[in-house]
Amino acid sequence: MSRVGIVSWGAYIPKYRIRTEEVARIWGDDPIRIVDVYLVDEKSVEGFDEDAVTIAVEAARRAIRRAGIDPRRIGAVYAGTESKPYAVKPISSILVDALGLSNNVFAVDMEFACKAGSEGLVAAIGLVESGRVEYGMTVGTDTSQGEPGEHLEYSASSGGAALIVGKDGIVAELEAMYSFVSDTPDFWRREGSPYPMHGEGFTGEPAYFRHIVGAARGLMEKYGYKPSDFTYVVFHQPNGRFPVRAASMLNIPIEKVKPGIVVTHIGNTYNASALMGFAKVLDAARPGDKILLVPFGSGAGSNAFVFTVTDLITERQKAGVPTVEEMLRDKIYVDYAQYLKMRKMIKLFE
Amino acid sequence: MKDVFIAGAALYQAGRHYGKNIDDMAAEVLDKALTDAKADIDALFVASSTTELANKQQLLGAYILESLGLDKIPVYRVENGDGSGGAAVALAYHALRSEEHNCVAVVGVDKPNDVLSNQQQDIYATTLDTYFERYFGFTPLSYAALMAKMYLKKYEYKYEDLARWAVLMHSHGVGNPYAYFRRQVKLEDAVNSELVSEPLRLYDVGPLADGAAAVVLCNDKKEGPRILSIATSTNAMAFSSRPEYDVLYSLNEAARRAFEKAKITPRDIATAEVHDSFSIFGVLAVESLGLVKRGGALAAIKDGDLPVNLSGGFKSRGNILGATGVYQIVEVAWQLTGREFKRVDGNYGVVHSMGGVDKISTVVVVGI
Amino acid sequence: MRHESVPIYWRNIPHYYRLVARRCKKCGAVYFPPVVRCRCGSRELENVELPHEGRLIEYTVLHQVGTDFLKQKPLIIGLVELSNGVRVTGQIVDAQPDKLTPGTKMEVVFRRVIVDGRHGLVMYGYKFRPVGGI
Repeated sequence: MSRVGIVSWGAYIPKYRIRTEEVARIWGDDPIRIVDVYLVDEKSVEGFDEDAVTIAVEAARRAIRRAGIDPRRIGAVYAGTESKPYAVKPISSILVDALGLSNNVFAVDMEFACKAGSEGLVAAIGLVESGRVEYGMTVGTDTSQGEPGEHLEYSASSGGAALIVGKDGIVAELEAMYSFVSDTPDFWRREGSPYPMHGEGFTGEPAYFRHIVGAARGLMEKYGYKPSDFTYVVFHQPNGRFPVRAASMLNIPIEKVKPGIVVTHIGNTYNASALMGFAKVLDAARPGDKILLVPFGSGAGSNAFVFTVTDLITERQKAGVPTVEEMLRDKIYVDYAQYLKMRKMIKLFE
Repeated sequence: MKDVFIAGAALYQAGRHYGKNIDDMAAEVLDKALTDAKADIDALFVASSTTELANKQQLLGAYILESLGLDKIPVYRVENGDGSGGAAVALAYHALRSEEHNCVAVVGVDKPNDVLSNQQQDIYATTLDTYFERYFGFTPLSYAALMAKMYLKKYEYKYEDLARWAVLMHSHGVGNPYAYFRRQVKLEDAVNSELVSEPLRLYDVGPLADGAAAVVLCNDKKEGPRILSIATSTNAMAFSSRPEYDVLYSLNEAARRAFEKAKITPRDIATAEVHDSFSIFGVLAVESLGLVKRGGALAAIKDGDLPVNLSGGFKSRGNILGATGVYQIVEVAWQLTGREFKRVDGNYGVVHSMGGVDKISTVVVVGI
Repeated sequence: MRHESVPIYWRNIPHYYRLVARRCKKCGAVYFPPVVRCRCGSRELENVELPHEGRLIEYTVLHQVGTDFLKQKPLIIGLVELSNGVRVTGQIVDAQPDKLTPGTKMEVVFRRVIVDGRHGLVMYGYKFRPVGGI
């Protein structure tokens, strides 16, 4: 099979942050305990005029700018989200016009909890590798929901990450991919319901860990990798503890996971979570580095990918696009009342 | 060509007229003007900016005539936003100069208080480019604020200098029995009023008011106040592409033509009514009319009185949208003849009626 | 205003999303908002996308707003000169007004502009924000 891989990446984090202690103050929780349990110091909050669409557009525009390609050469665009502003009406078609893609593009919104954006990556890889499209794009984007006062609220946050897949100008060549899926109801949101429900501890062993470890271990066994092959390992990050524990279950040193951790500073951006960590690693990777990327979606499933960074990375890192690290530092703190307003959780006449 | 005389006129007190329908209010003032003129009209021009949006009435002219039982009179509605009044007077003037008609009336009417204040903002914003300006939340006030900010910086004025405009307007408005807010205000009240679009404060904004004004124009008279010339001009540049923000282009050109046709100069003007929907527009209008040099209006106010907006302007008389231009014509005619207002010392007056943010201006020169 | 026109929004999408302007093929003048005829007299105009960077010329903070913006007030309204010299007015977001000043570097962002109630369309468009944050 011909070479295929990541040609460009782009990420977007809204500027607003709320501190864990501010949320805890409202709901009578002990902030020290909450931070200790989740390792989330603060989380990103979308501005009042932002949503999963605007976040996706910003991330995707940065990816296109970095790639320096004519957007009309992108033949497929996928949006993975669980925060669609519309129940029926795609984000991907808005991306077509906002990014200036051609009208002859395969486009769909995908839903598989937090894994949908990475499933878009799989679809783009397939179309590019088969030669049916020149470039394919996937965007993981979310303004994640968490019921006020419920523990999910400490992590559910907003952000987006976009990847462009192609055969020309690859910065991270795909070596292998693998999947692990089962019907595991760890977390869900019914049609019309504003906030998801979850199984607390059940989201851990039978869900996150079984599928992440299953996909990563399966990939390593099938394709003959060992932990020492990887320079960086990026997992889905629902909190600060889970990815570290997954690494230890796979005998992967924590130093390889840490560079891709963003959850401690911005919370869980759901579909952008693992992809944002991946973008952060690409911001700093050197030619020859090998990256294991393992996103996870509740319900439940994981994809595992191995990429090898090419010489082109150095040039693409200098594209003048803000790095994830820079966005983590560029922030405006809001209090809980502003947070409720920005997230449109105040009941209004409309 | 025959001269056009102001044969009769009437004004409706500017205010909140919750008890009146728009057609009846216009009919009442038109009836008074016709009685005043002791003349029959052979055409009616109706100036109104927002009757569809605020009052849910099209064909307003027909219903005004129905309210007076006047059959068979041709009637035309003129909409040039808040400059509708001046534009309607211009069309009436041309109809008389061409001798197609001998006596016509212009009635200006608007009732913004039929809707809530935020809906008034929606409606006023439709005088901007609805697709590229209104859509994004801009209102005329926001553009006035940008122009004020640039003006104050360029000519090194303090905000307090601009606030004097409102004080001056209120001191004039005391002499206008038809004014909405007929009282003096103190500079500190203006300076400390609520910030609405910085640097502009509440006192920089002419309050929207319900009102109606009517004027009867005839070309078969020999005496009384006359319209010496009228000129209308349009600024076809988008706000974002204006070369300069401290001049009213539409007014500049209309004033040049109107003064030329009337064969007078700005120095001959004894009274002027200008479109000061926002204080800065009044300042710019005084300069663009040529009454004061560019950048000099606020210095002139600081030094003393200006014979501008003796009605109290939009701040004291009120902003009656499309009716305002008709108010202004009547006010100037009455100021020149000493009717209802204190008589001014001179023979010439000028009216500036503007639609939108320097989009269309009509200048009318009135003489006795 | 509630119940915005869907066709009006739809037909303006290229301008709202990507700042598509009209450029005269004869003299090169660029118009935004777009026009039908160039001031040079030419009717041959082509679509051109405006750059996404520029500098702030002046701004105001608007407190009196229409019904669509009641929950977003105050709005920062700015006049921005883009890097090709074309000027555009737009809302400024993610900014503290007292830290804005003429000359501040601005970038174009994609945001919600009007949301037509709970059940209607979400309408997007360009806004500006200071580069690098202030």
